[in-house]
Amino acid sequence: MSETKDKIYDVVIVGSGIAGSLIAKYLTQKGKTVLLLEAGTGSYDLSQNWKDYQEYMKTFFMSQEKGVNSAYPVNLDAPSPSLNSLSTPPDDSGYFVQMGPQNFGSNFVRINGGTTQHWLGTCLRMLPDDFRMKSTYGVEVDWPITYDDLENWYGFAEYEIGVSADVDEQDYLGIKFPKGYRYPMRKIPQSYLDQKLTEGLKGKTIEFENKEYPVKVVSTPQGRNSTPDPDYRPVGFEPTEKWKKGEKGFQVEGAVSPWDLGARCEGNSNCIPICPVQAKYNATRSLFGAKRENMEVKFQAVASEVEFDPETNEVKAIWYKRYEDKNSPEYTLEKAVGKVFVLAANAIENAKLMLASEKEKAHPLMGKNLMDHPVLLGWGLLPEPIGAFRGPGSTSGIPSLRNGDFRKNRAAFRIEIGNWGWSWPDSAPYKPLIQSVDEYGRFGKNLRETFKAETQRQFRFGFLIEQDPQVSNSVTISPNYKDRLGNYRPIINYNFSDYTKNGFVAALKTYKEIFKWLNVENYTNYNPSESTYFEYEGIGFSWGGAGHIVGTHKMGLTEKDGVVDSYQRSFDHANLFIAGCGSMPTIGTSNPTLTMAALCLRTAA
Amino acid sequence: MEKQEQRKWFLRLSEALTGYGQFQLEGTGNVDDFLATLEEIVKPDITNRLLLEFSKLWENDKDGNTLEAGIRNHLMTDPLLGPVARNLIKLWYLGSWYQLPALWRENFGSHAGDYDHVISPRSYVEGLVWDAIKAHPQGAKQPGFGTWAFPPEVD
Repeated sequence: MSETKDKIYDVVIVGSGIAGSLIAKYLTQKGKTVLLLEAGTGSYDLSQNWKDYQEYMKTFFMSQEKGVNSAYPVNLDAPSPSLNSLSTPPDDSGYFVQMGPQNFGSNFVRINGGTTQHWLGTCLRMLPDDFRMKSTYGVEVDWPITYDDLENWYGFAEYEIGVSADVDEQDYLGIKFPKGYRYPMRKIPQSYLDQKLTEGLKGKTIEFENKEYPVKVVSTPQGRNSTPDPDYRPVGFEPTEKWKKGEKGFQVEGAVSPWDLGARCEGNSNCIPICPVQAKYNATRSLFGAKRENMEVKFQAVASEVEFDPETNEVKAIWYKRYEDKNSPEYTLEKAVGKVFVLAANAIENAKLMLASEKEKAHPLMGKNLMDHPVLLGWGLLPEPIGAFRGPGSTSGIPSLRNGDFRKNRAAFRIEIGNWGWSWPDSAPYKPLIQSVDEYGRFGKNLRETFKAETQRQFRFGFLIEQDPQVSNSVTISPNYKDRLGNYRPIINYNFSDYTKNGFVAALKTYKEIFKWLNVENYTNYNPSESTYFEYEGIGFSWGGAGHIVGTHKMGLTEKDGVVDSYQRSFDHANLFIAGCGSMPTIGTSNPTLTMAALCLRTAA
Repeated sequence: MEKQEQRKWFLRLSEALTGYGQFQLEGTGNVDDFLATLEEIVKPDITNRLLLEFSKLWENDKDGNTLEAGIRNHLMTDPLLGPVARNLIKLWYLGSWYQLPALWRENFGSHAGDYDHVISPRSYVEGLVWDAIKAHPQGAKQPGFGTWAFPPEVD
């Protein structure tokens, strides 16, 4: 056991994902000294960072599965969950110990920049009602803050990420913006598929509980570079970079290095698992935007225990295991000392670290209320070719069903329109091509032509279904399950309430009705052999995770109903912040990264 | 089979199996890699038998309209050569070698290298499937900003 000597930092941060990187950027620019610990590999040297990125690309090209983590090196010293091997729970064959009854279907990646390396880039705001579910609908819980409290922080987060959207399309279902607000970049062009669906669904409504709701296609705000708005100016917040009086126009940030790459999205159709040109935001942009003289980053440093002062209950230090070689189990134990500490390691790793450190003294809500968006897919063939497999993974959605009186009785959802054909439901084009050759015996011109005809009309909806908080959905630890460095592996208990399952039923009704309206040949098929298959009210469903890991250290008004306060400060430990999606008391129907970024910027201020 | 002869028949066979002309196949830069892959995994003997059988079908196709039926009825149904020919199609379209069927391995031997794997970054990027679906390999040959809003190519 060795102690590093012995600088005392103003702030020690665990995790280089978007939460940790944004907080580090902001604090270093305000003059604080920061030590950032990242469990995975990476480099704070620009040219090495670029070489690493090229290596990720090569790993991706050579990967047979091309899954969400396929671009990143396997690292048993800081393991990431794999979704390739999901089997029916209980299952401890992966990094997660899945206790069921449902599999937890989402993962993350432990590497520089965290899971923003493989995120899709969707940057939706939560709806005002998502913050007050209890008072509006009598279900779930209220947040200790409202949409209004977060409104300008959303603007700030959109600035830091560089979000592309047109503001006059985004003010639906109570979302509002300060006067004169603009997104930093113009909206990403909507795909040809989006345009066809917009046309086809004009005037379409759908009924729930005797009320009609519009089914309207809207462009999705995205953290990928489009055309910068020449009239952009921050409204409602003070950016980290100083803006001169009268200055206008957003400056686009491309690849972290070299600077000339990744200005605008080039249509690589590969946001997940990796954008080759870094036109999609990833957190290394913010990490490298920190004030370097105030910043120290240690990679391959896995936080393993938080040490508390028994008198004051404040954090004294964070112990971490530093490994030289990710292919070897050897490490040295080192200690990071600071005045303030921030855990920003993601909802599962944060909870795990706190449970490992506090043991029986842990807050009763630590690790509880784990949530995700179970995604129900509906797929089919449109009557006309729409040019599948082109562009960003999704450029539009149907957000008009995100809110309504039905939320008293069932989960809401947002519909994501997928641009990559049946890549998710059917592993297209791989699986169907293999089928064409092996099962249908096709070859030559016949293969080429039939395959084109079959794929060009493919499309799918993804229903991101709201999950309500349940204390029984949890992350726990046990000495029986540890990784190679002796750190705990997350044990996950996971299920859906009837509230959420009723959302599945409504989603099914919705795509069936829309498919009929659009003359879509329905090919949706939920296979009982899939590890996520379940039956409810006589209907079979299978689903996938969205990667939206939320709720394990929820914020509350007091220590009775929350682990942290609305600034993500721990109620139990005055100099500790537990930051990220784990702080969110409800998940709503928006991808949570933008909300997390807004919360973290508010924390840093 | 003599090397140059072998390559000629490999290219002709690939053309007949994929529906892509020799010009396009050469343009992928993968011809020699794929021939080498075949020789390495199923061995030169089986590779040459495949090429020889195909060359007979080709030579017999005097009017230019029996080759396809010949492939369908003789090559593809052959227990030894059929699965290898199908693997060659998958190699060209997807850039990956897929493990041969269990029955084939039982009867004709299992070989090192006969597992699912990508041959090279280029084999992935030049996979014919991307052209077949009128798209581009995901993560490469990016068509440019906003191109996804264009109508699809129809012919």
